Amino acid sequence: MSSNPSLLQSLSPTGDADISLKARLGEVDASMRKPAMLFLVSAVFWLLLGTVFALVAAIKATNPDFLGGTEWLTFGRVRSAHLNAMIFGWGNNVIFAVAPWIMGRLSRARIRHTSILLIAGIFWNIAVTVGIFGILRGDMIGVEWLEMPSYAAPLIIITYALVGVWVIIAFRWRQTDHVYVSQWYLLAAFFWLPWLYTVAQIMLIFEPATGVVQSLTNWWFAHNVLGLWLTPIALGVAYYLIPKVLGRPIHSYYLSVVGFWALALFYNWAGVHHLIGGPVPAWVISAGTVASVMMVIPVLVVGINHHLTVVGLHKEGWASPTIRFVMFGAINYTFVSLTGSLMALRHVNEVTHFTHFTVGHAHHGVYAFFTMIMFGAVYYMMPRLLLREWPNAFLIKVHWWMAGMGILLMVVALQVGGWIQGLQMNALNEDGTPVYSSFIQIVENTRPWLWLRSLSGLMILIGHLAFGVNVFWMIFSRRRAGEQTAPTLLSPTTEQA
Amino acid sequence: MDWGQYILIGFVFACLFFLGAALALHWAHRHGQLTNLEKGAQSIFDEDEPMGEITDAFPRKRRKKKN
Repeated sequence: MSSNPSLLQSLSPTGDADISLKARLGEVDASMRKPAMLFLVSAVFWLLLGTVFALVAAIKATNPDFLGGTEWLTFGRVRSAHLNAMIFGWGNNVIFAVAPWIMGRLSRARIRHTSILLIAGIFWNIAVTVGIFGILRGDMIGVEWLEMPSYAAPLIIITYALVGVWVIIAFRWRQTDHVYVSQWYLLAAFFWLPWLYTVAQIMLIFEPATGVVQSLTNWWFAHNVLGLWLTPIALGVAYYLIPKVLGRPIHSYYLSVVGFWALALFYNWAGVHHLIGGPVPAWVISAGTVASVMMVIPVLVVGINHHLTVVGLHKEGWASPTIRFVMFGAINYTFVSLTGSLMALRHVNEVTHFTHFTVGHAHHGVYAFFTMIMFGAVYYMMPRLLLREWPNAFLIKVHWWMAGMGILLMVVALQVGGWIQGLQMNALNEDGTPVYSSFIQIVENTRPWLWLRSLSGLMILIGHLAFGVNVFWMIFSRRRAGEQTAPTLLSPTTEQA
Repeated sequence: MDWGQYILIGFVFACLFFLGAALALHWAHRHGQLTNLEKGAQSIFDEDEPMGEITDAFPRKRRKKKN
């Protein structure tokens, strides 16, 4: 095969990898530069817009009249616009930047035909724009995590297929013998999402199921987007970056492989725990509860492995922006997953269901775990793509402290407030009558916690602004003379200095 | 569609899913991916980013060699 394979050669299911194509890391980075930057810039844009939507929705929870005169900005629409901007706009864009890049590096293969990835990036962002515009306009579909109007779906599917195929092609033409655990996670995620999305589209949109089946499918899909898409991507990134940055192999590679297969076996079942108490066959709920508790195994495996890899290198980790963010996310993966397992227990769920506790749990998973790890990945990737340092260390610190403390405040406020809310909704007098006869009284009691949520949202917005300024400053700054152009170590090492 | 058809769709996709997982596991076993795992852990390091080298720090901070 020539050094510039044709599209047909790249898509061919047969053929052997040519060792002469084995790429150095700098070459992989260079091949991914343009598409990754397109996805990254788009991701940052959606992150900022999604945060503004979030703040508006949070303020409306305590002040319902805020921007209440415009139907486009009513709570239901703004809240769904926030969710979709974050999941499809920020989350998927940043995944499409980071996942092919890591897959290419681990496969030692240049990313081929990147113009197709560029086209995919443009189409994807058009689809998200159309989808969110549709939600704000009032065309929203009333299915959790599938709110975008159906006219946005074809572009989403086509674009996703383009990116997914490119990750698989990078793996297909790998120039390495061993398949590293991150490759397992990334590959699995890129196979799992189309499976989830296709089943959900058929059973919820094109030929909508009714009643209990609809709820079951909805929660199977929504929970698995977190568990079989965002989670394996973030874990794959963490398993690559923690040992890579610290220069130390993962503590127990054996455990990491066990963790992967345990996630593949158990997570798929867990989503139905959202329907505890609903008119769902008891065995389905029991299966979901058992699977949720079984998730303790991969969670502890990952937690132990990450912790023991970092032991003794805490100072170096603290000095690395990447490790600060990634370890924050990894630690929160342990906490949010154990909380999730507890929430799947019937007696706990009786209290937490229909309260802000669940909202806190969702933010804990998607932000404190997934998003923080992806921030870490961006801090590692961008200097290698652009061959220049981050322009401002202070802004990175502002980002970490504001995002980290902001999300912790949000999780604590929503989960403590939600727990109290659940206890009040369930509280009964001795004669069996409700202690709180007026539901609105319980709603009023949540106000202080919701104010804290707005405050936490403001902190996170400040963090995101610092991140955004640093990203665009870096893109438009010039590389200083004398800086190395190797894929790593842009500043001089101790020996070189 | 009635329950039976939904279950059929779900069953077909579940079979595909498990078949895919089983094939992946079989492939991994046949190609020695599940043996000598500790060596595999070092596969991410190379001459560009060697083991023992810290490869990230805040800008304008020097990096140290670690063993």
